[in-house]
Amino acid sequence: MRAADLVDTDFGTIDRRIFWDSAIYERELERIFARSWLFVAHESQVETAGSFVTTYMGQDSVIVARADDGIKVFLNSCPHRGNRVCFADSGQGRSFVCNYHGWAFGLDGALKKMPKMGLYKNTPGFRFEDWGLKRARVATYKGLVFATFDETAPSLEDWLGDFRWYLDAVLDAEPGGTEFLAGGATRSVINCNWKFPADNFVGDIYHALWTHLGGAEPTLGRHGGVKVENEGSWQVSVNGHGWEFNDSFLGNAATMGDRDLLRYMRSRQEAITARLGDFRAKMWGSVASATIFPNFSFLPGYFTFRTFQPKGPLKTEIHAWTLVPRNMPEDIKDRFRRGSMRTFSPSGILEMDDGENWEHSTAANAGFVTRNQRLCYAMAPPGEVKEKELPGDVHAGQLSDANQRAFYRRWVTMMDTESWADMPLASPSVAVEAAK
Amino acid sequence: MSSDPIAANKPDYSTYPTLDRAQAAAAAQELLALDGRGAPVDMATHHAIERFYLREARLLDEERYRDWYDMLADDLFYWMPLRENRFRRDKRAPFDPSAMALFDERKADIAVRIGRLESTMVWTEDPPTRHVYLVSNVEAFETGIDGQYEVQSAFIQYRNRSEHDDATLAGRRRDILRSTTDGFLLARRLILLPQSILLTKNLSVFF
Ligand code: FES
Ligand SMILES: [Fe+2]
Repeated sequence: MRAADLVDTDFGTIDRRIFWDSAIYERELERIFARSWLFVAHESQVETAGSFVTTYMGQDSVIVARADDGIKVFLNSCPHRGNRVCFADSGQGRSFVCNYHGWAFGLDGALKKMPKMGLYKNTPGFRFEDWGLKRARVATYKGLVFATFDETAPSLEDWLGDFRWYLDAVLDAEPGGTEFLAGGATRSVINCNWKFPADNFVGDIYHALWTHLGGAEPTLGRHGGVKVENEGSWQVSVNGHGWEFNDSFLGNAATMGDRDLLRYMRSRQEAITARLGDFRAKMWGSVASATIFPNFSFLPGYFTFRTFQPKGPLKTEIHAWTLVPRNMPEDIKDRFRRGSMRTFSPSGILEMDDGENWEHSTAANAGFVTRNQRLCYAMAPPGEVKEKELPGDVHAGQLSDANQRAFYRRWVTMMDTESWADMPLASPSVAVEAAK
Repeated sequence: MSSDPIAANKPDYSTYPTLDRAQAAAAAQELLALDGRGAPVDMATHHAIERFYLREARLLDEERYRDWYDMLADDLFYWMPLRENRFRRDKRAPFDPSAMALFDERKADIAVRIGRLESTMVWTEDPPTRHVYLVSNVEAFETGIDGQYEVQSAFIQYRNRSEHDDATLAGRRRDILRSTTDGFLLARRLILLPQSILLTKNLSVFF
C-alpha cells in the first residue's frame, strides 16, 4: 500500500484508513517516528548534571539526562533481558540501575557495572561498550531539545528550516530564554489516532468557531467568540510543520479571562516589537496554533506545548507543559500556570471541548463502509494567495486547510520514501539569530 | 459592546470572590498540614458532615451546579495537583503549590467553569453525561479553630456518556469545612487522584 494512494494533497482528500489501520500505524512508527527529529524535553527540565526526565519517541521509552558534557537521550530498555530501566518521570542521580539483574548505566547510557562483574569480565567476546543503552542524536533549538535515532536524518536546523524564524515569536520574544513551568508533564489518554490532534493544531482554527463556542463563552461572551477572519491572518508551512495565526497579539491569551495578564502582555508589546519586528511580535499571543511535524504542538498565548504520543492506531497520550520567558515576573508566570491549566489541560474549559471530536473521528472507522469513505481537507478559500515576502510556504488567511494538506504531504513523503537522500527539505532562506 | 443581550449580561467574573497569590499559597500550606491527628469530632458533628457530603455528591450528580456553588466558601481554595512518578530517595516535596496542577481554583474560577457548562453550547455535554459520585471513609477532626473541621474522605466517581464512553476515577480528598449559621461551607479542598497519567480524556466534572 502506497501512502500516496491514500492521500490527495492537491485537492485535499484523505482515506480514513490512515486513522485506523494497524499496518499503517506500524509503518508510521518505522518511517515517521523513528526517522524524525522528535521533541523530548526543554533544557530547563534537565538543568543540572544528573537531572533526568523520561519520555517517549514514538512508542520507544527514552531517558533524557544531563551528563557532565551535555544532554543525552537513550533508550529506556535494558539490553540484557529488555526490562524498563528507569521508572521515574523525573529525578536526579548519577546512574540508572535496572531492577531485573542490576546492570547499571551512566548518564550517557553507557554500561558501567553489574553484580558479579567478574562473570562478564571472564566471558570471551563480551565488551562493556557493546551493551550500553542505545543513544539517539540530540540537538536543541532555543531551549527545546530534539532527538532522533536516525543517523542519516538531516540536521535539526535543516529539519526545522525556516520554521525557526517563526518559532522565535514564542521562543525568543523576550531576552533570557524560556523555561517550562515546574511540575512535570500534564498527561492524559485520549482514544484517538495521533494525527487528529496533530492536524488540528497544524492548521484547523476553523473548528474553534463551533467546537469552542461553549468554552469561550464565559470569558469572551456569547457568540462574542474567538474572532477569526481571513484578513490579517496567515497559514505558514515548512517541511510539514505548520502555524496558523492572526495579527491580534493576544487573541488566544484573552480566553484565559485574566485582565491583569493581558495588561502585562500589552505592556511588553513595544519591547517585543523592537526585538522581533512588528509582524512576528503580533504572533506572540495571537489566535493561533502550530505543530512541529509530526506530533509536537503548541498554542501561542496560552503557551501550552504538547506532544501527541502515539500508543497504537486508536490511542494517544497528551503530554503538556507551559512555556514562559525565564525573566517574566513570578506573578505573571503564575497567571500563565493557572490560565493555561484552566483552558488547555484535561480540566481546561477549551481542551475539554476537543477530545470527544477526535475520539469519534477515530472510532467511526470501525465501520467498514465508513472507513472506505474519504475525508475532506479541501478548504482553500478563493483569494488565497501566496505571500512571497515571508519565509516558508505561506498562504493568506488562517481559515484554510492549506497547512493540513502540507502536513499530510510530508507524511506521504516519509511513509513512501526509503531513504533520507530522496526526501528533500526546503532550503532555509532566512538567517536565524541566536538568542540574546 | 455587543448588542447581544446575553453577552451584555455576562457576569463580570473579575468581581467574583478570589484569593491573591499569597492567600492561595497559605491555603495550600493549610491543606498540606492536614494529617488526621486532631481530636475526632463528636458524633453529631460527624453525622452533619456526612450529610453535607452526601448532599454535595447528589447535587453534582444531578448537575445542580449553582446549588453546589452555594456550598463553597468565598475564600475557597480548590486544588488537584499532578502526580509524578518519583523515586523514594527524591528529596522534592511531592506536592508543590507553585507547580502545574489539574485544578488550582478559587471561587471565581469555579464560576467560570459553571458558566461554560451553562452556556448550552458545550457539545461534549449534550446529550448529558451521567454521573455517580460515591463518598466514603469520612473522618472528621477538630482543628483548634472553633467551627472549622479537617475532613478526610475517599471517593469513586463514575461517568458515562454516549455509548461506550465511561471513566471511573477514585481518589482521596482532604477538606477544611467551616460551620456557619446556614450549615457547612467548603473552604479548602485537596483532591488526590492516584493516576499519574489521567487515564481518560478530560475532567469535565467537579470533585
Ligand atoms: S534485564 Fe536489565 S539487568 Fe537483566
Ligand atoms: Fe480545539
